[in-house]
Amino acid sequence: MKKKRIYFSWLVLLWGLIFSVLSQPVNAASVDHSLEKVQKRGKLIIGTSPDYPPYEFLVNQNGKEKVVGLDIDISRKIAHDLGVKLEIKKMDFDSILVGIETGKIDMGISALSPTAKRKESVDFSQIYYKSGQYLIINKNDKNIYRDKDSFQGKTLGAQSGSIQSELLKKQMPKSSGRYLTKVSDLILALKSHKVEGVVAESAVAIAYVKNDPSLAYINGNFNLGSDHLGSAIAFAKNSPSLVQAVNKSLTTIKNEHLVSQYLADAGKYMQTTKSNHTMLHYWRYFANGVGYTLLISAVSAVFGIILGLLLAIMRLSRNRIFHDLAVAYIEFVRGSPLMVQVMFVYFGLGMIVNLPALLSGIIAVSLNSAAYVAEIIRGGINSIPQGQTEAARSLGLSERQTLQSVILPQALKNIWPALGNEFISLIKESSIVSIIGVTDLIYQLRTVQAATYKGVAPILVAMVLYFVMTFSLSRILGYFEKRMKHGN
Amino acid sequence: MATNLLEVKHLSQKFGDNLVLSDLNETIQAGEVVVIIGASGGGKSTFLRSLNLLNHPTSGQVLFEGQDLTTLNEKQLDHIRQKIGMVFQSYNVFPHLTVKENLKLAPKKVKKMSDEDADKLADNLLDQVGLADKAQDYPTSLSGGQQQRVAIARALAMQPEVMLFDEPTSALDPEMVGEVLKVMQKLAQEGMTMVVVTHEMTFAQEVAQQVWFMDGGKILEKGTPKQIFQHPQKERTKDFLARVRQSR
Repeated sequence: MKKKRIYFSWLVLLWGLIFSVLSQPVNAASVDHSLEKVQKRGKLIIGTSPDYPPYEFLVNQNGKEKVVGLDIDISRKIAHDLGVKLEIKKMDFDSILVGIETGKIDMGISALSPTAKRKESVDFSQIYYKSGQYLIINKNDKNIYRDKDSFQGKTLGAQSGSIQSELLKKQMPKSSGRYLTKVSDLILALKSHKVEGVVAESAVAIAYVKNDPSLAYINGNFNLGSDHLGSAIAFAKNSPSLVQAVNKSLTTIKNEHLVSQYLADAGKYMQTTKSNHTMLHYWRYFANGVGYTLLISAVSAVFGIILGLLLAIMRLSRNRIFHDLAVAYIEFVRGSPLMVQVMFVYFGLGMIVNLPALLSGIIAVSLNSAAYVAEIIRGGINSIPQGQTEAARSLGLSERQTLQSVILPQALKNIWPALGNEFISLIKESSIVSIIGVTDLIYQLRTVQAATYKGVAPILVAMVLYFVMTFSLSRILGYFEKRMKHGN
Repeated sequence: MATNLLEVKHLSQKFGDNLVLSDLNETIQAGEVVVIIGASGGGKSTFLRSLNLLNHPTSGQVLFEGQDLTTLNEKQLDHIRQKIGMVFQSYNVFPHLTVKENLKLAPKKVKKMSDEDADKLADNLLDQVGLADKAQDYPTSLSGGQQQRVAIARALAMQPEVMLFDEPTSALDPEMVGEVLKVMQKLAQEGMTMVVVTHEMTFAQEVAQQVWFMDGGKILEKGTPKQIFQHPQKERTKDFLARVRQSR
């Protein structure tokens, strides 16, 4: 009974914390400082998901990656008009609205359609580009499919969380849907006939088809409501001053017909990306990704062990408060997905302290790993017979000296394979940080996919690179395991 | 005049409702060898483990050199435990350390002895227990008798005032019992104060000044080996001795 009450109070404390975090932006929303904030900072921070040519995509310029496209040119124009610098934050499409709500970014510009549903959580600028909704298909099928109604009983793809996914669900009820985060993955699915068509915006469809002779596009003939008429920029709720300023720039862009010029520029970039499609050309991307993956894994492993050891000792301690704290932490962290924890640290804690994505990723992965390592260490300590402790204490060794010199060295040998397992899965699981835009190997894989219009080759490269990393680690661990073997 | 090195007053131990030690009042003098005999479950091991407070008694006092150990904190106890060596039935040598490292660990960690001095001390002790040639071996490659001799040498490395032996030969194959008893006998001859829980009656007869017969958490009968083994007074003692002799 008493034990239950303790856990309950922990739970209450935790929820209290979460709610206090959640309630913050509501209080802050009453007064509009949005424009003032940007001008004071001298920098306009935008969030975008650069996998959507020609709106936004990555190009490799002299070995350095660069975000380009219609949306980027528009943002640059806006920043110029506001007299501030432009900072581009790359993030998953699904994370953009969260980024706005949590103040990570000033505006989201990623070919966003201003739907009624989205308007519940963010404000929108005027529409800056109107386009239709097309279907990308394999060129060979051009005679089979005419419009959306000729796909009955077939599977189609759309970007998850996008307008296209809504269209697919609502207006093609006789077809089934496959929803992926990246358009490049959808194109890959199309080419391998996992899906028969991909619902995409006209500009996107045209861009892909122009870059891949095996593809074609048709007009979907969707019934488009006012929601679906075009793309707009998203802002935090109640920020009229910034919206007004941006609308002024958008009006200029419209009056001076700058959009067609921007689209032409984007097309030029797409020409250059087309010419360099070998994986070797993108080695810097992969090397960079491997570097970040190793950095995150190594730092997280070190902090995971330190914190895990601390938690294990707390859990084994006679002090009830320490014990309960450790148990609550371990159970909670093990009981929620790493992905959610990464997002919580970046977006949630990000409201209190502004943590960069890399640091957020490292913190989340370390905190997560610590819970698992703590249980491994606890198991290892428990595996050492009580007689070892008694012998050490009878010699006058203190509790701490006993742990240090007698118990832990023996425990380490017993838990080495389990720890090795944890480190290897750390390398693989750290890939989740790509969702908040940390440029690890998975992120770079996406980047190269978007830049090369190739789906499989980058996956293969990443797979081999992951294997090389984990296999090297397991060889290193095996070497140390052998060295510790003497006792048996 | 002999001094009381160890003394217990009204020592009782309860595990749940089970009274394992019942109001013991005994003294052990410096230089004395006390052998405790008795059937399993009589409280012998618990008594021994109370003497260095590995086991915290439910009530009563344990005095070492006149100081009540039950009033000390862990840090003070660590200091006292250096002076009370203990040898266990299951040896409890440290398997991750070589034989020599087993001996050097406590002097270096607890007494902050230099590596050089600890090395000399270890060599000397290993020579005494006849294991000089095993110094660099890991314990798991040794026989039970050898491991137990390492454990004795390890306890001696802290230069204790008294040595507690908790059935040191019970886990050994019969042919190895002798080598361990020989080391213990030598130790007794050198004047070490010893409290030994054992079933080795011959050892008790030859080495002990006092034999205590323990049963039901009490010391039922005590005296010289001659008194206990040849003229036991209590029925329980007679029974026990008869059973032990029969099993031979």
